[in-house]
Amino acid sequence: MASISDARPPRRTRSRATSEAIAAYGFIAVPMVLFLILNIGSFFYAIYISVWKWNIRSGPEKFLGITNYQNAIADPVFQKAILNTLYYTAIWVPLTMAAGLLLAVVVNQKIRGRTFFRAAFYFPSIASSAAITTLWIFLLAPSGLFNELRGAMGINPFFSLFGFSPTQNWLGDQSTAMNSIIVLNVWTTSGTFMLFYLASLQSISHEVYEAAAIDGAGGWQTFWRITFPLLRPGHYFVATVAVIGGLQLFDQAILSGGVGGDPNNAMMTMVLYLYNAAFRQFNFSYAAAIGLILFAMIFTLTLIQRRFFGQAPSW
Amino acid sequence: MTDVALPRETPAEVRPVGDNGAIWRRRLAYALMIGYALVMFIPFSWSIITSFKTLPDATNMTFIPQPLTLAGWDYAISGLRPSLPVLFLNSTIIATVVTVTNLVLGSIAGYAFARLHFPGRELLFLVVLATLMIPDQLRLVPVYLIMNGLGLTRDVGQYVAVIVVLAIAGTSIFLLRQYFLSIPLDLEEAARIDGAGFFTTFWRVMLPLAGPALAAVAILQFQGTWNSFFWPVVFLQNAGHYTLPIGLLFFRFSGGFATNWPPLMAVVVMATVPIVILYVFFQRYFVEGIAASGVKG
Amino acid sequence: MHRAAVLLVVALFITSCTAGNSASPGGGGSGASGGAKWDPKSISGTVVLSGWQSSPAEGNALTQTLLAFQAAYPNIKVDYQPIAGDYQTAMAAKFASHDVPDVFYVNADYAQQWISDGFLEPLDSYISKSGVDTTQFYDGYASVFKGADGKWFGFPKDGNTIGLAYNSDLVKTPPKTMDELVSMAQSLKGKDGLTAPLCLNPGLDRGLAFLYAQGGELLSSDGKSAAIDSDASKKAIQWYMDLFKDGLGMTASDMGDGWCGDAIGKKHAAMIFEGGWLDPAMQSTYPDVKYAWSPVPTGTSGSPVTISFTVSYSMGADSKNKDAGFVLLSYLTSKEGMTKWTQGGVALPARKDVPVPEGKDVLSQENAYAKPGSGFMKGWTDVQKAFQDAFTAQLQSKTYKADPVIQATKSAIDKALAS
Repeated sequence: MASISDARPPRRTRSRATSEAIAAYGFIAVPMVLFLILNIGSFFYAIYISVWKWNIRSGPEKFLGITNYQNAIADPVFQKAILNTLYYTAIWVPLTMAAGLLLAVVVNQKIRGRTFFRAAFYFPSIASSAAITTLWIFLLAPSGLFNELRGAMGINPFFSLFGFSPTQNWLGDQSTAMNSIIVLNVWTTSGTFMLFYLASLQSISHEVYEAAAIDGAGGWQTFWRITFPLLRPGHYFVATVAVIGGLQLFDQAILSGGVGGDPNNAMMTMVLYLYNAAFRQFNFSYAAAIGLILFAMIFTLTLIQRRFFGQAPSW
Repeated sequence: MTDVALPRETPAEVRPVGDNGAIWRRRLAYALMIGYALVMFIPFSWSIITSFKTLPDATNMTFIPQPLTLAGWDYAISGLRPSLPVLFLNSTIIATVVTVTNLVLGSIAGYAFARLHFPGRELLFLVVLATLMIPDQLRLVPVYLIMNGLGLTRDVGQYVAVIVVLAIAGTSIFLLRQYFLSIPLDLEEAARIDGAGFFTTFWRVMLPLAGPALAAVAILQFQGTWNSFFWPVVFLQNAGHYTLPIGLLFFRFSGGFATNWPPLMAVVVMATVPIVILYVFFQRYFVEGIAASGVKG
Repeated sequence: MHRAAVLLVVALFITSCTAGNSASPGGGGSGASGGAKWDPKSISGTVVLSGWQSSPAEGNALTQTLLAFQAAYPNIKVDYQPIAGDYQTAMAAKFASHDVPDVFYVNADYAQQWISDGFLEPLDSYISKSGVDTTQFYDGYASVFKGADGKWFGFPKDGNTIGLAYNSDLVKTPPKTMDELVSMAQSLKGKDGLTAPLCLNPGLDRGLAFLYAQGGELLSSDGKSAAIDSDASKKAIQWYMDLFKDGLGMTASDMGDGWCGDAIGKKHAAMIFEGGWLDPAMQSTYPDVKYAWSPVPTGTSGSPVTISFTVSYSMGADSKNKDAGFVLLSYLTSKEGMTKWTQGGVALPARKDVPVPEGKDVLSQENAYAKPGSGFMKGWTDVQKAFQDAFTAQLQSKTYKADPVIQATKSAIDKALAS
């Protein structure tokens, strides 16, 4: 069995190391140049304008220092946005990862109709977020399909245990709006995460499973003892992408709650708050400060994940 | 469900064949999967049903159009400005170019980050990750200023601007890097001992093994670009350059203050078809990765 | 290696930013040659006109109006470039790059913001040069496009007032007073399959009309301080909230509708408060529902009152072709241009000398006394949000107390006025 973590080839001569480095820089040159200009450039631009009172048309008006950051942290709506965003990420990431992995493992087997199931499970990921969120709003309306269905099935007593009325306004009520969006996004993104895991599963060779079978390991044991640990690079990718994406929740929030994050800021997320600052109040330096606070949060969490999921050099 | 955890082509010995309980578990598993699959089709079915409804009927929670009408489709095909073929063509061009650039740039860079050694590798890879952490909303103004400075906010330049912004996603590099990392080193070493250069090793040995990851990147990037809205809407300002999602906006108020659902859904259905075809085409690569290539671990 | 590249990018940015700063903000009348006689027929060039995408009916009306302009001013070519997607986002990029259309829409919501940020061109020098008559605009529409210094930054392109739309099968005689409205709602409650008699918005976008009607005020008469915490205002807001508490009114969202237009169309509600945009939606989506218009009922304030919404045609401080732009702008908002634009019924005229379009008599008659429903103060969207969030919280917790709403709104007003 190959050791995955040991990527260092033996006996590298100096000239080979130099030519390897030159080749590598060549391989990454185009993406890095684009990133430096379009992403990292924007990052420094944001840092620069965040310490000013900034007019988007005429530039800096007054030096503010860290005032924008202080104002943001002191604003109860922004505090709510941070809590909402963290709550969403903490619930959605594990759920969608588990769902994606389960689906991937299921459709990775030799089962009848595999192509059909692969297509079906990926299907909710195909539609644009706008289309699917609109449909969700429709389905979850007080007299929408979901409420009608549970009425017809006679399971409303179960729901009333949790205090939900037969005409519960799932997305319009501040206590259920965010959870409804979490369910929607687990449903729609599980297909994408299935795709990630499906690709990862292909990198595990048969011999590993054959060896496990000879050792007499059962399916459940094989999964937890062999498949799951060998998916480590996959887990790291999926978890990182999910956390980064989760903390930037925006589309579903603005589509279901409008720019105001209705009802009563239940759908207010950090990016939606940033959007309000930039394109409703035209306060770009404040928006930049928000963006940098968000960046710092994501960056920190990504570094923690890197510790958690992978040892160098496979991270 | 003992067999659920086992990937494909598990040796038959592990499976308890002939066990009655196992057969029933298997049937139950299938029933659950079919049920779940059907739930997955609800949104799409709903779109199809609505596309055959009249606008007043479209707001009703019913499954059978009353009356059934082709007016939505008719309006979708004839009523869009610019016309549907133009929108399809624009979307296809942009999505195809962006997919190809992501595959090419992403796989080469992903390989370099996974297997080559060079000073600053860790830091530069953090830069790749960091690109995912800056919200597009924050990047809008600086990116627009750069594109405007380069003269890419006018005429055909608008296309170029969209393509340049989407040309390479950090996720593409990241995904391919993680995949290359998990491929055993042996084959690559053999190629190097044969004296193959870095690019030849990548091209002849590693890339053919990367089928599943390339397929995943292709599907995600094509679909993401096909559905993308934010950057196209910022840059594509001549109606002749519009992509499908922008064209769809035309229906938003075409029923007065209310959304004109039937033609909207007709276009949504039509817009979904190319992605489905692409997906079905690429998904077969998910069985042809390293597992099928006979690499000895 | 990468460090150098980063520095390069940073340097590039700083230069590009500072280069952008050199443009002077709001250079008044820079396009017009000083002292020369204004002769619109002799002005030539291409004018870029932008607005958001709208309904086919509006598209046709605009095309007709532009054709008429083209016939009257053959030397000026109009290049109409509608903006898809979020209008403010797209315009932000244009303001930042100093590459703005010559004439464009400005919603009253953010007009004050754009004026104080220096995005818009003051029109006063053009007005005095050209002798355009500005006295025909209804004050409720025109006032929101004037700066703090009284300068004009746009002319209203049209308007809309909020009126009472009622299902004429269920409501035979529309209520004239707020007391009649309440008793009418009580008699309809729980009948005819209605979810609630009234569909109401939990925000000031409609609530302001009720606040005014019931004798309350948002701001003091000089506009310099909050008046939302006066006794009259408190009573008015509590009265509005009690409509929800007593089950007479409900939000569209709680009825399962996207907006109140759907609520009356699906017969979830019998009476709603909307503007002229309801008409095309009802015709296309709910052609079988019979409804009619009536003015907003008179409340304890004793005089008829409602609120109105409007959009202007304005020019940018960085617009390239301002002379030709003003010719187009003043034509579109002239008696002739506005008549062409509004006669199909897309909106109400914002001028007194334009004939009332067919079917718009009730809403038009409200023009005489309507107060601005948005954009009359800086930071209005924040005030609105504070009110709506607090109001929604009261509805959903079923506590129905006006005090927290007033406190939240007052502090938002204080903050907006202080900035």
